Amino acid sequence: MNAAAEHQMKQYLAELRVNLDGITLGERDEILREIGTHIRDCAAESEGAAMGEILAQLGSPVMLAREYREGVLIRSASRSFSPLLLLRATLGIATKGVAGTAIFFVAVMGYSLGGGLILTALVKPFLPPALTGLWIGPHAFGFGIGAYAADHAGVHEVLGIWYIPVALTLGALLLQGTTLIMRKLLRLFARARSMSSGYRNGPAAASLSI
Amino acid sequence: MASDGILEDEAADRWAAQLRKGALEMAALAALWGKRLYGLEIIRYLESHSRLVLAEGTIYPILNRLKAEGMLTSEWVEADAGHPRKYYSLSPKGKERVGQMAESWIEFSRGLGRLIEPVLAAREAHQ
Repeated sequence: MNAAAEHQMKQYLAELRVNLDGITLGERDEILREIGTHIRDCAAESEGAAMGEILAQLGSPVMLAREYREGVLIRSASRSFSPLLLLRATLGIATKGVAGTAIFFVAVMGYSLGGGLILTALVKPFLPPALTGLWIGPHAFGFGIGAYAADHAGVHEVLGIWYIPVALTLGALLLQGTTLIMRKLLRLFARARSMSSGYRNGPAAASLSI
Repeated sequence: MASDGILEDEAADRWAAQLRKGALEMAALAALWGKRLYGLEIIRYLESHSRLVLAEGTIYPILNRLKAEGMLTSEWVEADAGHPRKYYSLSPKGKERVGQMAESWIEFSRGLGRLIEPVLAAREAHQ
């Protein structure tokens, strides 16, 4: 490998390294070592082939890094109980087709509702009593903040101060349920995604992203 | 219309590409059946033993993920090339997974084969 080709390879690996942020240093080094080996082997295998061609066959370092990053993020999130990590992973897949968007939507809805209920329970002591509660009436049902005005015809609030433990319990169950569902959905998404990672059809290279 | 024909060909090519994509994980695991290979060897093996042509960079994140899932084991081995190579092997879990995939694949392709028999027969008669 001549000096110019060596320089091109180093540039490619440097760009790959920069884009592998979020992956542990140990794993990052292992990835760079393996990709470096691949480039050297390709160069040795096809003597005379331009380094540019070899690197083009690998795909852009940005796209390659994204494939690695998303795999790692989805994997760690699907094993985690952290809503923040789960939300970050679902945000990453939100643009990856209908399934990714649906998973993101479920996560946002579940965490918003759960978090919202807990919040209403926490602020209830500081708000006017009639503002939060469970309202029941003819053809009416409302739960949360300001669902019905206190003087709404035939509608009355039934929980009173018990709203706090009920909302806390429901909110916690929603957060926990959303977390468990997200872990499961991310695993299913990762499995489905692995079944559709970029092949090339004939001479036209498929994009690394779905 | 010529442009309609091109669009139809492109749609058929896209469908064929999607079909190939669907087999990727099974192909990577099957390539390692009974032997250990490094990344470039897996790519070349798939090129020579199947009609799946791989975009080279694609295989590495998949191998990385399969290893993380416990389907593969890997080790760096010194080679004559002057640099070590990362060899992959199937773990017992990977062998089980690829076995299940192969059974599903055969069942699936047999069913579809029966379904498209009349289509192929009509095309042959037409030609």
